[in-house]
Amino acid sequence: MLEVRDDNAAAFEELMLRYQGRVVTVLEHATGNRDLAEDLAQDVFLRMYRARKRYVPGAKFSTWLYTIANNVALNALRSRARRREVTLEGRESGPLGVRPLEAMIAASSGQIPARAADKAEARDVVQMAIQSLNERQRMAVLLSKFEGMSYAEIAESMGLSVQAIKSLLSRARNNLKEVLEPYLDRGQPPASEVGLRPAENEADSIRSEADRD
Amino acid sequence: MSNDPYHAGTADELPSIEEQLVAYLDGELDDESSRSLEQRLATDSTLRLQLGRLERTWDLLDQLGRAEVGETFTRTTIEMVALAAEQEQRQEEAERPIRRRRRLLGAAAGILASSAAGFVLVWALWPNPNRQLLEDLPVLESLDEYQQIDGIEFLELLHERGVFAGEGDHDGV
Repeated sequence: MLEVRDDNAAAFEELMLRYQGRVVTVLEHATGNRDLAEDLAQDVFLRMYRARKRYVPGAKFSTWLYTIANNVALNALRSRARRREVTLEGRESGPLGVRPLEAMIAASSGQIPARAADKAEARDVVQMAIQSLNERQRMAVLLSKFEGMSYAEIAESMGLSVQAIKSLLSRARNNLKEVLEPYLDRGQPPASEVGLRPAENEADSIRSEADRD
Repeated sequence: MSNDPYHAGTADELPSIEEQLVAYLDGELDDESSRSLEQRLATDSTLRLQLGRLERTWDLLDQLGRAEVGETFTRTTIEMVALAAEQEQRQEEAERPIRRRRRLLGAAAGILASSAAGFVLVWALWPNPNRQLLEDLPVLESLDEYQQIDGIEFLELLHERGVFAGEGDHDGV
């Protein structure tokens, strides 16, 4: 990044190649839209280039990059939410209305097929679960899960305190648990290569563990 | 929600055990708190169940996958940045004569200000030989008369006797 700061074009390209997939991943899952994610990712790299002279040596580059990405994503999500307010009422964020969590739980428990869920369906279910979170919870989860960032790094990127991140992630993960539990309890897990135990055996093991105590 | 004893209160008022479990899974719990939690987990099956559920749903997020980015994205992004770099350079070149003019004006103003300050300082401090002459002018105008008197004491005596009454008061005379 120091070379990018000194206007080295090759260094910028190398940095971009290293991070473009990661940034698009986070933005895709944050917005639920791949095309929008790519547009936003380009905006992130453009802002990164324009702000290169302000980069402080010693600061962690990924934290700085995701500060930009977080701002870009939140701005996009908020302007999208404002546009939707014209036709829908009472929504603060997310596509599932005033009570996205409850809607998701109902969807998860009622609509998940009993047969083995293939990978695409599992992905859809998890994507919906992620979208049921509010913007900040979602971003904190994505930075934690896909970037492996610490609470302190996430706090810096999102402009919040570490305690706020701790609370945010706690609520987010408990919300995800509530939404996805019915899926775990009823549906078959995705293909075995992802390493999950079969849901039926898992449900039995949970029940027998509870019975034992 | 549920009758889970660890779920007391509304969704916005989660008890701290929830935070501890998540922080524990994320490796963000300090050693002492981790040990304390592990002791609880060893004896509390409900808590263990909750931890297991949190872990499994977290693992499910791997289903989201990671994005593969095509060459088109890379190429168009680099083109955008190259365009921005060109615009920056053009703007810098356009501003260069303005900045040069500002620097020259600034330098000229500085020189002028320094000169003015120097002039004022010299004028204030440099001894003016004419000043003394101006102060002594009244004496010089009557020098011929004063040279006929032997000393200042005679003049003071005449002044006490009112000889100079009605004439202008000359300081120092």
